[in-house]
Amino acid sequence: MKSFLRKLTGKHEVSLAIIMILMFVIIDILCGGTFHSFTNIKDIFRNNALTLLMSLGMLLVLLTGGIDISITGVLAFSGMTIGLMMKNGVTHNVFLLFLIATAIGTVCGLINGLIIAKGKVSPIICTLGAMYIWRGMAYIISGNAWASAQDVSGYSDFGKDGKIGPYIILGVAFILFIVMMKWSSFGRKVYAIGSNREAARISGINVDRVQIAVYTIMGALAGLAGALSVSIYASAQPNMQTGKEMDVIAACVIGGVSMSGGRGTVLGTLLGGIFYAIVYKALPLVGLDSIWQNLIKGIIILAVVVINVVTQRAMKRQNLARREI
Amino acid sequence: MKKLLCIALSILMIIGMLSACAPGIDKSQASYALVTKSAGNPYNEKEAEGFEKVMKAMGVPAGNYIIKHPEAATVDAQINVINSLISQGVSCIAIAANDANALSSVLKEAKAAGIKIVTLDSDVAVEDRLTFCNQAGVTQVAQALVDAVYDIAGGEGEYAILSATSQATNQNAWIDAMKAITASDSKYSKLTLVEVAYGDDENQKSTDQTQALLAKYPNLKVICAPTTVGIAAAAKVLQDKGSSVKLTGLGLPSEMAEFIGDDAAHSCPYMFLWNPIDLGSLAAYASIALAEGKITGKVGDTFTCDMENSPYTLTAVEGTTASEIILGAPFRFDSSNIAEWAKVY
Amino acid sequence: MAGKSGRTISATPDRSVLKRILSWEGALVVIFIGVLIMGRVLSPSYTLNNVLREMPKYLSEILIALPMGFILIMGEIDISVGSIVCLSTATATFAGNAGLPFPVVILVCLLTGLACGALNGFILTRWPELPPMIVTLGTQIIFRGIAEVALGSGGSASYANNADLEILGKKIGPFPIAFFVVLIAAAIFIVVLSKTTFGRKLYAIGSNRTAAAYAGIKVNKIRFIVYSLAGLMSALCALFILTTTFGANTTTGQNYEMDVIAMCVFGGIATTGGKGNLFGALIAGFSIVCLRIALGQININTQLILVIIGLLLIISVLISGITQSDWFRKKQLAAKQKKAEAAK
Repeated sequence: MKSFLRKLTGKHEVSLAIIMILMFVIIDILCGGTFHSFTNIKDIFRNNALTLLMSLGMLLVLLTGGIDISITGVLAFSGMTIGLMMKNGVTHNVFLLFLIATAIGTVCGLINGLIIAKGKVSPIICTLGAMYIWRGMAYIISGNAWASAQDVSGYSDFGKDGKIGPYIILGVAFILFIVMMKWSSFGRKVYAIGSNREAARISGINVDRVQIAVYTIMGALAGLAGALSVSIYASAQPNMQTGKEMDVIAACVIGGVSMSGGRGTVLGTLLGGIFYAIVYKALPLVGLDSIWQNLIKGIIILAVVVINVVTQRAMKRQNLARREI
Repeated sequence: MKKLLCIALSILMIIGMLSACAPGIDKSQASYALVTKSAGNPYNEKEAEGFEKVMKAMGVPAGNYIIKHPEAATVDAQINVINSLISQGVSCIAIAANDANALSSVLKEAKAAGIKIVTLDSDVAVEDRLTFCNQAGVTQVAQALVDAVYDIAGGEGEYAILSATSQATNQNAWIDAMKAITASDSKYSKLTLVEVAYGDDENQKSTDQTQALLAKYPNLKVICAPTTVGIAAAAKVLQDKGSSVKLTGLGLPSEMAEFIGDDAAHSCPYMFLWNPIDLGSLAAYASIALAEGKITGKVGDTFTCDMENSPYTLTAVEGTTASEIILGAPFRFDSSNIAEWAKVY
Repeated sequence: MAGKSGRTISATPDRSVLKRILSWEGALVVIFIGVLIMGRVLSPSYTLNNVLREMPKYLSEILIALPMGFILIMGEIDISVGSIVCLSTATATFAGNAGLPFPVVILVCLLTGLACGALNGFILTRWPELPPMIVTLGTQIIFRGIAEVALGSGGSASYANNADLEILGKKIGPFPIAFFVVLIAAAIFIVVLSKTTFGRKLYAIGSNRTAAAYAGIKVNKIRFIVYSLAGLMSALCALFILTTTFGANTTTGQNYEMDVIAMCVFGGIATTGGKGNLFGALIAGFSIVCLRIALGQININTQLILVIIGLLLIISVLISGITQSDWFRKKQLAAKQKKAEAAK
């Protein structure tokens, strides 16, 4: 039992969960007990479904030691494309549109993967370029117009408040990823590459192929998030979710994913994503002057990252001390 | 290596060549430019549409009018665009400013280069421009919004405002005017403004803010959103929830058609806006009149054009000797006319 | 990729690497001239005077590209520079409006940047296991957040006495002062990087941080200095931004970090660290600036400009990537063998 406890407290997820529960309670008190209501928790997941969904792909990318900052560009491009398809009356079939958006994302991701794996381009540069390109393409195809709520009516019922569509997508994605990362050989290969690329190569893993797969999955999720975004907000705008790629990366890092690769879990990512979601949700609720909200958000992110490192160090030291005794 | 270099270079050249299809400026005639707030917003696109329509109608050759949507809604992007227009030597620039002060330096440079400056939608410091095409008087807009809140709330109760960013000059001016109106007239004494929230013209943030308003103020009756992104996001939240809280504000009819209606199933009974196409047209007519010397930007100048309220007279901006041209009163959109206007803009 | 771990601290680059770098810089010069010719052909207004007149606004970004080059060579990243620019313009504006003499205003501006950079440096050296991208993301939001709070509702403040600022915006001949400042700063940074032990230590840290620490390099001290330097240079950039905006705005400096990183990478600096030099970044910076001015003058869609820069970025890195790839090397080897056989 004792060793189990020790094992537990040594985990990043546990320290993060404790911080989060504390924060949740404080916010709940500040809001006069309205924060833990069912609708509020439901809204937390729905409003941040995009970040949560993409953080899964980002987990894979970060595990291989890479990074992808083109995701919101891809999201905007795929979302804008299906928005325009509905606007011009091509189709209103929800399933088909989700499929198209995901396919667009997959292709964008595949291109990233090929350039990074085969072209030996560093991931941040490739995806920086891709970010400019896909975001720009979203603007260009939109012709400076939006697909409005009327254009996407019917389709947007899928992500409407009270419908379970977004939650199902999130749930399925997380379960799939937990299974994949824990029990599939692909998951193990991803960890192997991130821990030591050369060793992985020598042990017979096709590093290039895994890398391509990882970026393709990321792209597919970004495309899916594009479709989901249009559905949840009932609007396709070329500037949607600008800058949110950093939120996704930060959510992963807060969740304990290492940016140098090899370390990180799906559970941690989920916790990091929820942490971010709580911050977003709580800032307007706690009665803070809106002009202060960005500053506070920045401080919270930085503080959590630092606190996490500090607690990790303390736990390591403690565990070490115990071992010496 | 050399081969690859050549490829890279030729790609560069091809891109350049392709993009150079636009005809150049004919220097023997006046040339005009419109600088909107940013790319990717249909409101700005409609302004550009109106501007272009007039330019074509007035026989300005295709190369002599330039429409620029800066890459982002920042002063940085606008300064770069204006700098480029100064280099090209246009005769007149019409601009919807992203910041009242920060464009001062570059606009002075433009003025020194002999370029005539007109502003539309959002003004700059009055000494940096000749005249301002105002979509509607500030108090006019604020009065319409306050009356709408008063009417929808049934004369009393709590209301909140969901604005764009806390720095948006137009929105701030309207909100200040709304506060002044409610404070000065006892008719509105039973209305209480509980909060001004900012959605930063982002869908997600506007949604979060709207939900926060609903959670924080259970007695809330009306939300007033004087911004096109915010009103659409808030309308979606309220309508999805089937909330009893109603919405009004300023929005594009095409984006809001889904949400406007008198029954409980629609979240917005009515809202307002001016016609951005007309605003763009007015800016175009004013530019042409200035370039041709028909007006000089002094208060009292008049010019005629092919628009509803023609002839337009330059009136004084409150408290100054600078001039502005007011497009007209804000237009009301409700269930009776929304379907028709949704097709237009 | 493989070369990264193979490089030792004292080693000078071997001939083939040197050749490659040289040729990349040669290529950049050609591209730069190509851009100028393209601009001249496409736009009648693309004259020396006009280009130099439009330049200061973009030029100031090159000032940040120099320390960013240092940071990238160390294998790290700083995405808070744009926000530091924003905060520095704000403090300078407040200082100026408080009636302080202009040299003091300059000092306040530079100190603000230095303090911001030092904060980044402090956090990153106090907890070295923190990823720079996340820390500077946090400070990015914080620095802009402070500016937002300071500037209050309205989000902008204008600099009352802009006669002072006009001094900085003056020209010597057709050349703006910013142009000379950039050249001088670039010269200093290039010399520091290529001729001093400090520069060599940067490469060492970028190649292998742990090894560098074992070799007796005070890694954290150097990292602290470099991040502080990035803050300082961002503030210098802010000073020149002030000459074009005459005040502060909460959106000032948005996305500068991306533009600056693009300049460095286009100039041949690898983000994985340990490779590249600033001379390339300088030419790349000028190329991008001149390209943007040219594309602006032919009035293409502003978003298309971003797409073109994105494409250029990927293509340029792809070229150097392909020449390094196994596939390309095998092909070259095969070609050499064929030649040798033919000679026989």
